[in-house]
Amino acid sequence: MTTLNRSRETSKRAAVARESALSVKWARRREVAQEVFRNPLTVLGLIIIGLFFLMALAAPLLTEANTPDPYQSPRDWSNISVPPGEAGHVLGTDATGGDVLYGIIWGSRLSLQLSLTVVGFTLVFGTIVGSIAAMRGGRLDNLLMRVVDVFLSIPELIFALAIAAVLGPSFRNIILALAAVFWVKYARIVRGEIIRIKQAEYVAAAKVTGDSTWNIYRKDVLPNAVSPLVVQATLDMGNVVLIGATLSFIGLAQAGLTEWGAMVSAGQSGLLAGEWWLSTFAGLAIVLWALAFNLVGDGLRDVLDPKTEGR
Amino acid sequence: MARSDDWLLRVDDLSVHFESSKGVAHAVDHVSFDIYPHETLALVGETGCGKSVTARSILRLVPEPPGSYASGSISLRNGDGSVTEILTATERTVRSIRGDRISMIFQDPGKALNPGLTIGRQLAEVFGEHRMSMILGNAGFDPEKPSRTATKIVQQRAGLLERGVYRLTHLRAPKALQKSIDDSVMQALADTGIPNPRKILGSYPHELSGGMKQRVMIAQALACDPDLLIADEPTTALDVTIQARILDLIHEMQQRRGMAILYITHDLSLVRQFADRVAVMYAGRLAEIGPSAGVLASPQHPYTQGLLAAIPRPATPRGQLAAIPGTVPQLIDPPPQCHFASRCSFAASACHQVTPQLLTIADKHDVSCHRFDTASRIDVSPQDMPSAATLGGVASS
Amino acid sequence: MTLLSGSLAADFGGTTDAVVALHGVKVHYPVKEGVLQRVTGQVRAVDGVDLSGPRGQTLGLVGESGCGKTTLGRVIAGLVAPTGGDIWVDVDATQHSEIERLRGVATEDRSPEDQASWKSLESNHRLGSMSRDKQSRYRRNCQVVFQDAFSSLNPRQLVRDIVGRPLRVHKEASGEDLDRRVIELLERVGLDSQHLLRFPHQFSGGQRQRISIARALALNPEFVILDEPTSALDVSVQAQILNLLVDLQKDLGLTYLFITHDLGVVQHMSDRIAVMYLGQIAEYGPTADVFNSPLHPYSRILRDSNPTLEDSLDTVKWDLSGTVPNPVNPPQGCRLHPRCPVARAECGWSIDDVLTDAERNTPVVFETISRVERKSDFRATVSFSEPEQAKKFAKRIGSLAAHEALEQPIRLDDKLVEVSFNEVSEAQLQQLKDGRWSSCTRTQNLGALPEL
Repeated sequence: MTTLNRSRETSKRAAVARESALSVKWARRREVAQEVFRNPLTVLGLIIIGLFFLMALAAPLLTEANTPDPYQSPRDWSNISVPPGEAGHVLGTDATGGDVLYGIIWGSRLSLQLSLTVVGFTLVFGTIVGSIAAMRGGRLDNLLMRVVDVFLSIPELIFALAIAAVLGPSFRNIILALAAVFWVKYARIVRGEIIRIKQAEYVAAAKVTGDSTWNIYRKDVLPNAVSPLVVQATLDMGNVVLIGATLSFIGLAQAGLTEWGAMVSAGQSGLLAGEWWLSTFAGLAIVLWALAFNLVGDGLRDVLDPKTEGR
Repeated sequence: MARSDDWLLRVDDLSVHFESSKGVAHAVDHVSFDIYPHETLALVGETGCGKSVTARSILRLVPEPPGSYASGSISLRNGDGSVTEILTATERTVRSIRGDRISMIFQDPGKALNPGLTIGRQLAEVFGEHRMSMILGNAGFDPEKPSRTATKIVQQRAGLLERGVYRLTHLRAPKALQKSIDDSVMQALADTGIPNPRKILGSYPHELSGGMKQRVMIAQALACDPDLLIADEPTTALDVTIQARILDLIHEMQQRRGMAILYITHDLSLVRQFADRVAVMYAGRLAEIGPSAGVLASPQHPYTQGLLAAIPRPATPRGQLAAIPGTVPQLIDPPPQCHFASRCSFAASACHQVTPQLLTIADKHDVSCHRFDTASRIDVSPQDMPSAATLGGVASS
Repeated sequence: MTLLSGSLAADFGGTTDAVVALHGVKVHYPVKEGVLQRVTGQVRAVDGVDLSGPRGQTLGLVGESGCGKTTLGRVIAGLVAPTGGDIWVDVDATQHSEIERLRGVATEDRSPEDQASWKSLESNHRLGSMSRDKQSRYRRNCQVVFQDAFSSLNPRQLVRDIVGRPLRVHKEASGEDLDRRVIELLERVGLDSQHLLRFPHQFSGGQRQRISIARALALNPEFVILDEPTSALDVSVQAQILNLLVDLQKDLGLTYLFITHDLGVVQHMSDRIAVMYLGQIAEYGPTADVFNSPLHPYSRILRDSNPTLEDSLDTVKWDLSGTVPNPVNPPQGCRLHPRCPVARAECGWSIDDVLTDAERNTPVVFETISRVERKSDFRATVSFSEPEQAKKFAKRIGSLAAHEALEQPIRLDDKLVEVSFNEVSEAQLQQLKDGRWSSCTRTQNLGALPEL
């Protein structure tokens, strides 16, 4: 009788437990988030990023989209190279009468597109390559890592430049070039992390329970390897735009594109004539973007670093 | 609590706090003890009891922040009878004490050695500092008035250019100097029982075994003929057969040099062989301090009793070890009570309300337990525990 | 004294069968060097081990770091594949003596009946040849509690998922049933349902080890490998965990393999112990006997080095000299002999020993060696750059225990020294008394541990 009661009681407690399991996991995530928000610089970075996102989202509301291509500034041929504040151009116009503010706003869309595509793709691809190398080991690992070494031995910018130059000048090719360059970093980070985690006794313990390699990878290995990836991806959101801007600056994007790097490049010739606004505002946008992601990346690193985690 | 006056080092009412996001951790909480010349005092306790923090405080090595010395003093008696207050001294004074009067060896000798320098180079720095006149004398210099460059070379402070010039201008001196440095280092290594010290001179730390590294650390720590050697779990990372040899070595060095040793350990069974006195710490406070033979034979604090009973012995029936129930309490903003009360089978309500003081119950044997607050007899049975009422009266008066 | 016959793996100490029995198990790791990763040697982590886990008992496995005890544990747990030898599962005494007998017969000499019998034994009991089904049953039946309770629990999983995982993997329970079983397991190890939804970092070291034990018990195993389960814990918590393990063994009839370097703990916990040194078993026997009258110098040294609260301090303590030899190239004969306080002529001296001795103790002599021309491990001609040092070298060998092992006197010819030792085969573990095994050659000859 008592045993029956006891088991019924246990079942009840079990039911309650199951309901709150998810909430416990969320509570843990909330804790981590609170830790992140404690750093004022990280918060500042997040605010800047938020504003850029809003700007990108609301671009058609903030300005009237140019037709047929919204990523070309509308030309105001009567007001060429006017300084900020004149003739209804808040941030002035460029040498072909393009509105600078319009360029900055629509440029944020391009930057977002660039960084999200490149980081998203390289993160996934690099993780797959690194995981295969580390989980399989042996010859395949050796082969893949030598490929990574070759990629890493060439400076990112020069490599991307070479690829983009071969593919021809267009914004899409810049994305392709950057994707081809950035995945190696993730492959190497993932491989290193997995090799470290494979030594951990909880992986041995999982093997003893008889779980499959795929499940061990999914449950034990990968979740513990993500922290440095998240940090790196955040930092790369900034880096990709910096390098992308450099490539457009050199002239690998289509002419007249509202890409910040291309705008800095276009404004360069006017600098001597005292037309400072185009290069300055576009440059400022690049700097702010890169700075914001670096602030957040560093903040995340402080919180997610395995040495300080869980204390 | 009775304390005599011929101490070498006096720790008085020391409290060390650590700031954390969860609050202030009282890592060391009003701890007092003396170390006398030539003796070995063992500081024993479990993980997180504050024994290492206490040891590091003596060299003022606790990082500030997050750490801070919240109360108390640490005094070191000098040769001329004057006293240096370590916690308030200038950084310069502390540094000279660290190198000269008090040395320390650590649990992990691998981390305490610079991986990028040969053993010879690392030891030469220390020996050049402390054995200057001997090295100069052996190299044929007048130790009373050495040349500036020679001094700098011995101290390993001379630059490449300076050494080059010296080599060109002095005929045999540079070689003799280097040989003298090497000889003094090799002698010190040989003293620690290292076979083939010449080979060790040119080795890097990673090429040596753990026991060998610990010997190198001991040679380095003893270079200055310290008055006090702090040994922080010197054998925890070593195998048991090597542990015995290292402890014997430390003991032998003490016999030869006559220094005092503060021996930090979690292993009470080592205390019996290697310590004259033992201080048991629990949750940042001293639980009991006394002669090791006496404490081990008749431990008076319930925690010491529990700790001893928990060690497996041949006679203990299997599965009937006297485990101490529960876990160590949080040290963050602790309430005024006996920290051991929650795990103590003798605890009365007074133990949860009043912090016990260290009381002398026998010759040089102090215990901080409420059982001795009113009773001065050693053999107190659980029934003799003072009631909460009487204790409360004592505390408030 | 005549030696009793039989293999150590057949020794069941009064019980009838073994959950696992090892025969000549080896784990050799290749040492790779250079850009081309050429294999230049083998690390002999485990080098020919016979052992059995008698059902319902605790077998202690002691040794210092690097002796191979952890690797051996992992071999038995199936985490490391052995590079040689056999692992037999669930064999009773008759089957065991049959295996013993057949191992002694070369494959081609076996009669058809023998072959059939061997085949059936292999397919039913030998790990690697038996059916997948049986193999996975063994895996379920054999669980591990790891040393480091901090790294053996996945920091990103809840206790419920950690302890319930074996049940989920083997589809034994899910949903509410799973939670109920996990709570039962937690209660079994002294935790309760309030701990179900916590992360490992929220627990103390002792509690984590309890979680680890709960996980190991989830599939109702018969056999649990305890790999230094308490060495990261404080002594008061260690006592709690050891008591818990003993209670569980009594209640569930578990067989333990207790791997540790702590002699006090192994003495308290084990019925029998095996002492390991450099990849091999040095001594095996009932715990009390091994402690009271060790039959191998190494066991005696371990016992003497172990600090205790009780022994009288004035007995003569045996001590180990030197450092652990390289497991790539272990000493000939008895592996302990270069460090052994009672080593004599018969212990297996070779060229390497005298060279190592010269390097350690007469470095000046060692540095003048210009060439070593080896004819075998036991014979070589050593050339010196100075005749004086050659003389010293020859003299030094004469003063060592090794010189009695010389096959012929040392030939000194100006700068050349010719050394030739008696060839010695590897020391074997042999039964000296009922149930007591030792691999010490001298003890085997004397019938008792030699005097210091």
